[in-house]
Amino acid sequence: MPEGRPDETDLVRRLASGERAAFEQVYRQHNASLIRVAAGIVGSRAVAEEMAQDTWVAVLRNISGFEGRSSLAGWIFTILVNRARSRARRDGRMVPLDAGTSDDGLSGAFDGHGHWATPPDLWEEVTPERILAGRDVISHVAAAIDGLPAGQRAVLILRAQEGLDAAEVCAILDLTEGNMRVLLHRARTAVRAALAQLM
Amino acid sequence: MMTCKEVTERASALIDGEVGLWERLQIQLHLAICKGCARFVSQMRVTRMLTETALPPLLPDSTESARIDAILTELRTRPTDG
Repeated sequence: MPEGRPDETDLVRRLASGERAAFEQVYRQHNASLIRVAAGIVGSRAVAEEMAQDTWVAVLRNISGFEGRSSLAGWIFTILVNRARSRARRDGRMVPLDAGTSDDGLSGAFDGHGHWATPPDLWEEVTPERILAGRDVISHVAAAIDGLPAGQRAVLILRAQEGLDAAEVCAILDLTEGNMRVLLHRARTAVRAALAQLM
Repeated sequence: MMTCKEVTERASALIDGEVGLWERLQIQLHLAICKGCARFVSQMRVTRMLTETALPPLLPDSTESARIDAILTELRTRPTDG
């Protein structure tokens, strides 16, 4: 087990023994993220929910073969992404997850010398109290994430929501580390722009 | 001297602690004199923190419970794919 990764041996053993509480814990921890990542790839929330459901069945069927070479979450998301990609191919959807040629949405913000044409407004409303108490802010973040292109959405969810390390995210999504960092930056820039509308 | 565009392009790497010492010094020098970039980097930090906060559930709790039941039932009734 790599240094810094929590020991999941007991949880995996409980899952393999069919303990409902263990499954419920893992399911509730990851299911929303599974649906969000799959929805970006398959382009449909309903199909994404189906993919997540199929993934859980596959996870429980194969948990005894889980060897801990990745984190449990990393293994679960690998199953999901592979299934979602197969489904997207079957449905004739081409969904590249890499950064491609899109920019970070800021190119119009600068003048010809690379200086701000219009500097960002101050976010006066962003106080720790509002962030913690304001479900409206978090709902806005969720909507912004759900509107991201598939690759940006997957990287942001796997890194920020699931806390997976960079190497695992690259392996799951078949990305280079540089590409993954570009996607993460663009995702955050897009979410920042969405928040700026709210502030 | 880095431009504002260059600083914003490195904002994510900066807040993730992934820029080297020399580049970090260049960015900090820029941020000390550029209010727009200082604001942008600060907003990217807030954004990172918010994206790491647990998002609202996608499905009602009763739907989640029903789906957990459905998965466990499928495993019992169809133990393998074949």
